[in-house]
Amino acid sequence: MSSCRPSSSASDNDWLRHEAFVRVDRRTVIDRRHFLRAVGGGAAALSWSQALSLQAAALKQRNRACILLWMQGGPSQFETFDPKPGHENGGPTKAISTSAPGVEISENLPRTAQAMKHICLLRSLTSKEGSHPRATFLMHTGYLPTSSVKHPTLGALVTHQIADREFELPSFVRIGQGRAGGGASAGGGFLGVEFDPFSVASAQRPPDNVQPATTEARFRRRLKLLGRLQDEYASSGGRQEVADHEKLYGKASKMVLSPKTGAFDLSKEPEKVRAAYGDSPFGAGCLLARRLVETGVTFVEVNLGNWDTHLDNFARTKELCGQMDQPYAQLLTDLEDRGLLESTLVVWMGEFGRTPRINPRGGRDHYPRAFCAALAGGGVQGGQAIGRTDAAGASIDDRPIGVADLFRTICHGLKVNADQENMSGIGRPIKVVDGGETVREVFGA
Amino acid sequence: MLSKSSRPKSTRFQSVRPAPCGVAMGSASAVLLYTNLLLRGLAATAVSAIGMTALLPGRALAADTEPGVAAADAVAELAAQIDRILIEETGGESVERAAQAGDETFLRRVWLDVTGVPPAPEAVISFTKDRDPDKRAKVVQSLLDDPRYGQNWARYWRDVILYRRTEERALLVSASLEAFLKEQLNANAPWDQIVSSFITAEGDVRENGATGLIMAQGGQPEDVVSEISRIFLGIQIQCAQCHDHPTDRWKREQFHELAAFFPRVAVRPDRTGPQRSFLVTVNDRPFAPRGNNNNRFVGSPEHYMPDLDDPAARGTLMTPAFFVSGAALEVGSPDALRRWTLATAVTSKENPWFAKALANRLWAELVGEGFYEPVDDLGPDRTASAPRTLEHLAKAFSDSDYNIKQLMRVIMATDAYQQASRVRRGAEESPFLANCSQRLRGDQLYDALASLLGIPDQVGLGGPGRGPYGMGGGPRALFNATFGFDPSERKDELAGSIPQALAMMNSPLIAAGASARRGSRLGRLLSEIPDNEQLVVELYLRALSRQPSEAEIRTCLRYVKEVGDRNEAFEDILWSLINSAEFLHRK
Repeated sequence: MSSCRPSSSASDNDWLRHEAFVRVDRRTVIDRRHFLRAVGGGAAALSWSQALSLQAAALKQRNRACILLWMQGGPSQFETFDPKPGHENGGPTKAISTSAPGVEISENLPRTAQAMKHICLLRSLTSKEGSHPRATFLMHTGYLPTSSVKHPTLGALVTHQIADREFELPSFVRIGQGRAGGGASAGGGFLGVEFDPFSVASAQRPPDNVQPATTEARFRRRLKLLGRLQDEYASSGGRQEVADHEKLYGKASKMVLSPKTGAFDLSKEPEKVRAAYGDSPFGAGCLLARRLVETGVTFVEVNLGNWDTHLDNFARTKELCGQMDQPYAQLLTDLEDRGLLESTLVVWMGEFGRTPRINPRGGRDHYPRAFCAALAGGGVQGGQAIGRTDAAGASIDDRPIGVADLFRTICHGLKVNADQENMSGIGRPIKVVDGGETVREVFGA
Repeated sequence: MLSKSSRPKSTRFQSVRPAPCGVAMGSASAVLLYTNLLLRGLAATAVSAIGMTALLPGRALAADTEPGVAAADAVAELAAQIDRILIEETGGESVERAAQAGDETFLRRVWLDVTGVPPAPEAVISFTKDRDPDKRAKVVQSLLDDPRYGQNWARYWRDVILYRRTEERALLVSASLEAFLKEQLNANAPWDQIVSSFITAEGDVRENGATGLIMAQGGQPEDVVSEISRIFLGIQIQCAQCHDHPTDRWKREQFHELAAFFPRVAVRPDRTGPQRSFLVTVNDRPFAPRGNNNNRFVGSPEHYMPDLDDPAARGTLMTPAFFVSGAALEVGSPDALRRWTLATAVTSKENPWFAKALANRLWAELVGEGFYEPVDDLGPDRTASAPRTLEHLAKAFSDSDYNIKQLMRVIMATDAYQQASRVRRGAEESPFLANCSQRLRGDQLYDALASLLGIPDQVGLGGPGRGPYGMGGGPRALFNATFGFDPSERKDELAGSIPQALAMMNSPLIAAGASARRGSRLGRLLSEIPDNEQLVVELYLRALSRQPSEAEIRTCLRYVKEVGDRNEAFEDILWSLINSAEFLHRK
């Protein structure tokens, strides 16, 4: 918390490695863009899938990407990744074995169990925040909410550091409407609206306003006329406003005219692939996330809500797991098949867990003291579970992991410098992550 | 710099009275509060101890004689004093200041600032032709009497309160909050009365908009008092919630003493009515029933400051006390007494922060830069960019018994307000040498588009919408979700976003409104005005409330010729005007 830079020599080496990586990577990014431009020139001759496989080849060496699967409401760890069969707190939920020897998860997640070899479970997450908005903010930013400092959300922190600023599509896309989409944990915070997510309400239809309202030729003609009509305001006190406006319109129109916006269109995907993700909003969200990452988007957040099971926890969590299981497992498999899993960190988490005690309405209440998250890809060593809760699921027996530890671990997987200081609105330098330590076992260290 | 002699001088006395209903409401609500206190069995000693009986007749007297209401010449005189002090404080007469803004710029500015909508073409033409030297003061006065004034500023305060919500479902208070504020502001209810209503509110949040501030924070005492302090006093006392701040004066204990005015208040869901809602409730019973599911549905008798070393412990019992004046109550005091005491202390003329916070905020909104930035961070250890000017303005506001319309009239009569705008100053340049361009808030932009394109205003926020609480429906709400921003943010840090640019360029709603098809606004103009130059002028007047320059006319006419298709060309011109930086700002 107190020192700016980790003092151990291991961390110093880490820091140097990070610098080297970024330098190499920048060059890679430039090469990729030239490469893609060359491909784009002859695009007519290439099918969509051919173009994509060419892109994927170039993307293998690129910077990291992250897909955050956000489970709004606080999923029950007992009915997902830390079942306690045989204990009264476990309820009727059974455990099943997985593709990772010795790791058992809830019977609600059969497909995920098969993909367990990619997944590293964190079963000993712990925090103190038991209210939805505060915990949602904490698990999105690593900080507690205050009205004086608007902390940036994870997607903003990551894209701020590792995204290509010249990329035609938004580097940070949020899919689906969840609580995370509104309120204080929404976006770029003090980093600015430039780092707000580009929100797609539903993956099942194209995002609003990306298609021009006219032909492309006329759209270009209009942009030219607009450019000619801005002088008067610029010369009467609006010079800065006009300059900012032109920059913004330049970026927005580049997106409108870019062939890459086709990534938002799921109908371009073969029927078989769509079926593999399942016909559900979350399935479509995961497929869109894969398409976006494949196109070069750095951070995609996909929301799945309604995990707040104070009532009728077992049936409702089972139903929610049904929505989540297939798309999640398919996403990991698909990323691996395309050679993207190594560079794409997939994070599954919600704002807290649920009480060991089953309440009289068959529900579980908020429980931040011990809960789960799941990491995959991005150098994560799959097929393991880190941390352990006691038989009752009430407290942590082994290796508590705090929110700052989790954030530092995510940063490590994405080659993001967690100690970088960003300037807040009131002129206070604020680290990407305050305190905490990387959970090295996650990466097999 | 505009010389004093060219300032439009008042030529006749104008008696400006607040609407009678505002006055009536002032005393009525005070009496109601008093009755409320008596009904709750408040000890008479407690009443006299806090001087309530002494205060009530004072307010009644103020209402009868209206000592704080100034005539037009008094407003002009106050504005001149403000300008004089401001010049002294910002480099004197030798510093080069922006000239007075032209009539067209001024008119669009005051319309947007006061009513939230741009002036219609007829208003622009009649104002520029008007030779009355008093016309600027008169238009300000008439716009303040327009009901759109209350609507515009109600939306402003709705955003101030709701953008910092920690309870997402507070959006359902939106409609009632807006309605409450609109009524109060149009009636010119004094600011202390409006603020007291927010602090003492109770009841169904859909019915009583004054519950908005408490609802926005889910009734959490720490968050509610932080917002009261931030919005109404400009003091960010929440920094002291967890630790003693090294540079600020107030201590952690004082923060929790402030929170101790609010422990008995809570917000609880109400599903008994036809629509789901929330109730702001009070619990004065000695033992509060436990809330369930970590939700705080019922208030507790007292507030405890958490023990930082042992978060599970109950903490230290706090006595309600107001950090500015020291006004304090006994532990065990009923809620009505607590909140009445806090409201009285916050709005007291003895509390300098109260008048200063609003004077600073309104000045920032109108002139483009606050004496303090951000507008809700005044101290205690910050420095104003022109402290004596702010003192003078705040004192005038306090002397007027917190007359908001008068405060606006004074600011809008200053040279500082009426100057042309320039690029926002750098840190090393003197402040207030010019007005500053302001980005339109979501509602202003929506109204500008709606009036330009003839889009009917449909349901607003809180109208029939989606989800169990019926939130977030209607085109205005959707538009605000993309274009809205927290009005307490620093203006120099507001920036446009990609989704905003995409919406302006490509939104089907705007595209349909700006099409030349028969029956649309543009379609009608195309057939009514056969002359191309006249049509260009008409579109400029409608979109930007000004005449086009010669160069702009030439560019547009050349464009019409190039394109060949008249309808298409004018659609493109209108598209360009809507998508210009000028349309998005007020100069």
